Amino acid sequence: MAFSTAVQLEDVWKRFGAVEAVRGVSLRVPAGCIYGLLGPNGAGKTTLIRMIMSIFFADSGRIGLLDGQQALAVKDQLGYLPEEKGLYKKMKVAEVMIYFARLKGVAADVAQQRAAELLQRYGLGDYQDRRCEVLSKGMEQKVQLLSALIHEPELVILDEPFSGLDPVNRDLMRDVILQMRRDGKTVIFSTHLMEQAEQLCDFVALINKGQKVVDGALGQVLASGGRAAVLDYDGDGHLLRDLPGVTRVNDSGKRAELFLAEDADSQALLAALVPKVQIRGFALRTASLHEIFIRAIGEADDA
Amino acid sequence: MRKIALVARREYAEHVRTKGFWIGVLAFPLILALSVVVPVLLSGTKQARTYAVIDHSGFVLQEVEKGILAEDLGIVLRDAAERYRDGGQAWERLPDAVRAAAKGYVSLDEAERSALIQDLAAGEDEVAAGLVEWWQQVSAEELEYLGLELSRSRYARVEVGDDPPAALNRMVKDGSLFAYFVISPDPVASDEGCKYISLNLTDQDLRRWFADQAFQVVRARRIEQAGLDAETSDWLQTPVHFAERKVDKRGDEAEVSTVDRVQQWAVVPFVYLLWMAIFINAQTLMTNTVEEKSSRLIEVLLSALSPFELMAGKIAGTAAVGLTLVFTWVACVVVGVLIAPVALGGDVASIVGIASTPLYLWSFVFYFLAGFLLYACLLVGAGSLCNSLKDAQSLMLPLLVPLIVPLLTMIPITQDPNGTLARVMSYIPLFTPFVMMNRAAGSLPLWEYLATTVLLLLSIYFAVRGAGKVFRIGILMTGKPPRLGEVMRWLTAKEDISPAEREADQVS
Repeated sequence: MAFSTAVQLEDVWKRFGAVEAVRGVSLRVPAGCIYGLLGPNGAGKTTLIRMIMSIFFADSGRIGLLDGQQALAVKDQLGYLPEEKGLYKKMKVAEVMIYFARLKGVAADVAQQRAAELLQRYGLGDYQDRRCEVLSKGMEQKVQLLSALIHEPELVILDEPFSGLDPVNRDLMRDVILQMRRDGKTVIFSTHLMEQAEQLCDFVALINKGQKVVDGALGQVLASGGRAAVLDYDGDGHLLRDLPGVTRVNDSGKRAELFLAEDADSQALLAALVPKVQIRGFALRTASLHEIFIRAIGEADDA
Repeated sequence: MRKIALVARREYAEHVRTKGFWIGVLAFPLILALSVVVPVLLSGTKQARTYAVIDHSGFVLQEVEKGILAEDLGIVLRDAAERYRDGGQAWERLPDAVRAAAKGYVSLDEAERSALIQDLAAGEDEVAAGLVEWWQQVSAEELEYLGLELSRSRYARVEVGDDPPAALNRMVKDGSLFAYFVISPDPVASDEGCKYISLNLTDQDLRRWFADQAFQVVRARRIEQAGLDAETSDWLQTPVHFAERKVDKRGDEAEVSTVDRVQQWAVVPFVYLLWMAIFINAQTLMTNTVEEKSSRLIEVLLSALSPFELMAGKIAGTAAVGLTLVFTWVACVVVGVLIAPVALGGDVASIVGIASTPLYLWSFVFYFLAGFLLYACLLVGAGSLCNSLKDAQSLMLPLLVPLIVPLLTMIPITQDPNGTLARVMSYIPLFTPFVMMNRAAGSLPLWEYLATTVLLLLSIYFAVRGAGKVFRIGILMTGKPPRLGEVMRWLTAKEDISPAEREADQVS
C-alpha cells in the first residue's frame, strides 16, 4: 500500500470553551517520512494529534488521512502512543498486547504470534506470561511502544515519545522510528526538544499558540534561517558582542551560536575571535531550529 | 460491535479472575445453606429456660403444673396416635407406655378423647397412670428424640429454697436462674402483687407462656365463683374466628395454604439479592472506569475505538459478570430445591420450592439486567468524571441514595403489594426493578408489568445516551471533576452530540 499523503489538514480549528486550542492549521505530511511536530508546551500539539487520531473532532476544517480518507475509516491503520499511557496492571504482558492488536482489527492467531515475536525480539520473552505490574518502568515503556506498533500501522503518531525514557529506550525509540521509515511507513512525532527533531526529521512543522508558524522539509526550514557559526570556547562571553558581520549571539557559556549577516565574512569573524577568547571549535552551518523557532515566534508576536 | 465485544470480553475475563467475584459466587449458597441449617442446629441445642415460682395463693402453681402436664401429654398422645395410624418404624420406636396409652386413645371417640386429655394429669385411669409414670422418669434426651414442641423441654421449673426472694434474686443475678414469678395471695380477686423478675427483658416467651397458664387457672376459679356452669362458660369464651380464604386465578374463592403465606414473604430475599447484585456490579464498574482513567489507558484505547464503544463494552462485560453471578445463585436455589427434601424434611423444602417459582426467578433475572443497566449508566458516567477513587467515593454517595429507598419500603410493599405506595414507586424508573420484584407475589395485572417495563426501558435508553455524552467528554478530562451545572450542559448540548452520532454512523 503506497500512499502519497499521510495526513492533510486544511484550516483546522478546535475550541474548548473560551480557549482556542488550534487556530486554522493547514499542513501536509507526505507518506514515508519522519515528520516532527514542534512547539513549546501548550502550543496545541496534543490537541492536533488527538484530532488526527479522531479522539477529538475538529470544530471546522478538513482532516484527511492516508490519501484523503476519513480518520474513522482508517483508524485501524493508525498507531498511537500518547504522552500519558499505561497498561492493565492485572493482565499478562502478552495478553495486553494481543488485546490492543485485536482492538485494531488483527486476527486472534496473528496477534498472538506477533506479540510473542515482538517480546522475544526486544528481550522481554521471559515476561510474556507475567502480569504487567511486575514490569520495571523501562520495560513498561517498551511494552507500550510495541503495543502501539503490533498491528503494523501505516502511520504512527507519537506524542512526546522521548520524554521520560532512559538512554537505552531512547535509542530503541529512535531505531524503531528509523525502521518504520525504512519500511515505507510514516511517523509523526511531537516534541518540544528541537535538537531531537533536527537529528531525526525529514519534515517539520513549528506550532505556537495553536497556529502553524513554519513548516516544510527540514533542509528548507533550516536554510530559511540563514547561516550561523557555532563556537566552542572558554572565556568571557561579554567579549562576543560587537563582532563583525554577526547579527545576534545566542551564548550558552561554553558554546555560542553566532548568527551571520547575509554578506558576513567568516574568515574575518574567526580572526576577530582569536584575540578575545580561547577557541576550542569553530564550525559554519545553518541556523538551528531553535533559533528559527525563536525568531518566528518573535515575528508572530510583533505582527 | 466487534470492538464492543472485545472490550466486554476483556472486562469479563478480568473480573472473573478476581477473588472478589468468587467470594460473591460462593457466598450466596453458603449463606443459603447456613440460614437453613443453623436454625435447625440451634433449635437442637437450645437449653430449657429455668424459672421459679413463689406462690402465695397456695393453689395456682399446683394447678398450672397440672395444666402443663395435661397439655404436654396431650401433645405426646396425639403425636403417638398419628404414628400409630401411619405405622412403621416411627411407631415401633415409641416407648411401651406411650404406645399402650396411644392405643387406648385411638379407640375413643372425639369427645372422650378431649375428656381423657383433661383427666390425664390426674392419672386416674390405668392408661393415664402408665403414661404419667413414664413421663415422670423420662430423660430429656428421650423427649428430644420425639421432636415435639413440649413445654417441658422449653421451660424447667426449679424448687424455691429458703429465704425465697433474696436467694432467687441472687440466682437471677448470677445467671443460674432465668426468671422467677411471684403470685399474689388472691389472684382471683386481682393481679396486684403478681410479679415477673428477670434480667433479660427482651425475651418475653416465658413470661407470656406462664401468664397464659396462670390465667387459665384463675379464670376457671372465677367462673366457679360466678356460679356459671361449664357449658355456659365455654360458650362465653368461644372466640369469633374468621376463616381465611383467598380468590384464585379464576376468581373463585379458595383455601389459603401455608404456601400462599410463605410466597408473599419469599420475595424479600429476592429483593435483597437483587439489590446486592446491582449494587456490587454497578459499583465495580465505576471503580474500574476510574482505574482505567487514572492509569492513563484511556487515550490508547480511544485511538482504537470510540468512547461509546468503550463504555458499551464495559457495561456489557460487567453485566455479563453480574448475570454469571445471578445465574449461579438461581442455580443454587434450583439445586437446593432438589436437595432440600432429601436433606431436611418437608417444611423447609416447600419454602425453597416456593422461592423457585418461575415468575420469581425470571423477574429476578430481568430486573437485575434492567436495574443494572440503569445504575451502570449513572455510575459509569460519574466514574468518567473522576480522576481518583477518592473523587469517585464522594460522587457515589448522592447517586446511591435512591438505592436505599427500595430497601426501606421493602416490608410495607411486601405487606401490601398493590397499595398506593407500591404502585407509585413502580413507576419511578430508579425503583422499578426493586419494587416490581417486591410486588411479584401480588399477582399484578399484565398492563402494569407492560407500563412499568416500557417506562424502565425508555429511561435506560436515555440513560445510555446521557452517559455516552458525559463519558465522551469526561473520560479525557483531567484535573478537578466538573460541577453539576457543567455536566448538565454536556447533557443538553446539541453540538457535542453531532460528532458522536457521526461516529456511530461511520462505525456501524
